[in-house]
Amino acid sequence: MAETILEVKDFGIEFHDHDRPERVVEHVDFSLQKGEILGIVGESGSGKSMTALAIAGLLPRKKLRKEGQILFLGEDLMTMERKKLRSLQGDEISMIFQEPMTALNPTMRVGMQVEEALRIHHPEVSAEERKRRALAWLKNVEMDDPERVYEAYPHELSGGMRQRVMIAAAMVGNPQLLIADECTTALDVTVQAQIIRLLLEINQKEQVSVLFISHDLSLIRQISHRVIVMQLGHIVEQGDVEQIFNAPQEEYTKHLIAAIPQVVL
Amino acid sequence: MKTIREWIKKHRNFNFFAGAGITSLILLVALVGIFYTPYASTEMNAAAKNAAPSLQHIMGCDNYGRDIFSRVMEGIRNTFFISLATVAIGTFAGILVGSVCGYFGGLPDDILMRVNDALFAFPSILLALVIISLLGTGTINVVLALGIAFIPSFARIVRSEYKKQVTLDYVQSARLMGAGHLRLIFVHILPNIVPVLLSSVMIGFNNAVLAEAGLSYLGIGVQPPEASLGRMLSEAQSYLFTAPWYALFPGLVIVLMVLGFALLAEGMTEE
Ligand SMILES: Nc1ncnc2c1ncn2[C@@H]1O[C@H](COP(=O)(O)OP(=O)(O)OP(=O)(O)O)[C@@H](O)[C@H]1O
Ligand SMILES: [Mg+2]
Repeated sequence: MAETILEVKDFGIEFHDHDRPERVVEHVDFSLQKGEILGIVGESGSGKSMTALAIAGLLPRKKLRKEGQILFLGEDLMTMERKKLRSLQGDEISMIFQEPMTALNPTMRVGMQVEEALRIHHPEVSAEERKRRALAWLKNVEMDDPERVYEAYPHELSGGMRQRVMIAAAMVGNPQLLIADECTTALDVTVQAQIIRLLLEINQKEQVSVLFISHDLSLIRQISHRVIVMQLGHIVEQGDVEQIFNAPQEEYTKHLIAAIPQVVL
Repeated sequence: MKTIREWIKKHRNFNFFAGAGITSLILLVALVGIFYTPYASTEMNAAAKNAAPSLQHIMGCDNYGRDIFSRVMEGIRNTFFISLATVAIGTFAGILVGSVCGYFGGLPDDILMRVNDALFAFPSILLALVIISLLGTGTINVVLALGIAFIPSFARIVRSEYKKQVTLDYVQSARLMGAGHLRLIFVHILPNIVPVLLSSVMIGFNNAVLAEAGLSYLGIGVQPPEASLGRMLSEAQSYLFTAPWYALFPGLVIVLMVLGFALLAEGMTEE
């Protein structure tokens, strides 16, 4: 019996920063098992990022109402003490952002940034051990010369390399949950393929659960075990990847799938 | 080391080198002035009253027959270190106030920034005058007064930089790694505002030079017989026609000091 890592129950977000309250996510229910890759797909503005940020605990606390529950290993992240939440962030839950160009601190050496989660959550780990683990992860994400990358500043690396650095930084603390929001959107196709392959590999080896968010259905198809289709803040349909792609139930899903560009070689 | 060399390479431009040249020359004079001046700065010589520049007194003598070059050296030293201390106080406190306001926002930000705006509405020199009238004259008080008077402008710049930085992905990403507020403010964000900070420090230094000269000119800065560039200018006023060199050289040095720093600041921000 698989262990449930994440359970989102009747989750909703309502913004109160304009004259009228604006519901951007509503009645979202799903769960994520250990070692599973869950793809969330949907058009722009469908609430994918908002859901991801909420799970990561990064939503602003002001001018915004949240409802429902986000259970991480059975505990509600939304009502949890901030201190407890902070101890999970980066250690058990980590995230890769869309823009590898801006997600790394330009003034900090890559090595420092990869080690950050360890430095914060595991001060008992010695500096040498930290470095050893950071280098090991840089190697895991297929850096040719981990030692050099460790000493480099972000601007010395290509976009693809930076995204791999982000993966290393996210994984160094051995999290249970990895959230990837459009993490390949800014990259070109060959680099995209490499990142996808890496994520699959890491998922296999480390048994980390992955929430993979994208508006690219073919990527979702390649990587996901299960898929959620979102539209206008609602879940339209969810199911196993084969079922969604081979036997979609909802009109909206059928439309999306019909719209995938077919590459004929 | 490597990064410093790269940095210099990137900023290799005329302004930078001209500014660095002038500034290091002045700095050198200030440093030498600590240990050695051709004459004692307070040594009077009745025979050399208002003497014109000559080989013995390359910048001439003032109305007491004191060697102007020696007094300029001492004046540069005083002005330089007072300005440095002033900027240090302004920057340090400005970073503290500005970063907290910019990072957290909200009510404390509103309150502090209203106070800041109110202070900012007065020219620094006026603010410094008020503070000196409370503290009394003297070098330390001048430094304190100018330093405090400089806080609002630094706080403002730092705050607006922090406001910009907190929204960036790298801050979110560090926050998600569990970094606390202090760590985010000082370890993650601060290095990213250094370039902006650096040029405002340079401009602030220039303003401090002028403000110190202004206060001394008004007679409430460095106290006689200590030499100060501003004070020399004010004393030289009565002798503009009998001894024009008396006003010329201190004035020229102030201009050079400000120019050197302005060029340096310009060159550093130029890509
Ligand atoms: N501050 C805000 N106030 C009101 N509405 C907001 C605010 N921020 C975001 N939204 C709305 O929330 C909705 C969901 O946005 P979200 O970023 O989650 O979409 P997304 O599915 O990630 O889209 P994309 O594919 O473009 O990344 C959008 O319609 C957006 O307009
Ligand atoms: Mg998004």
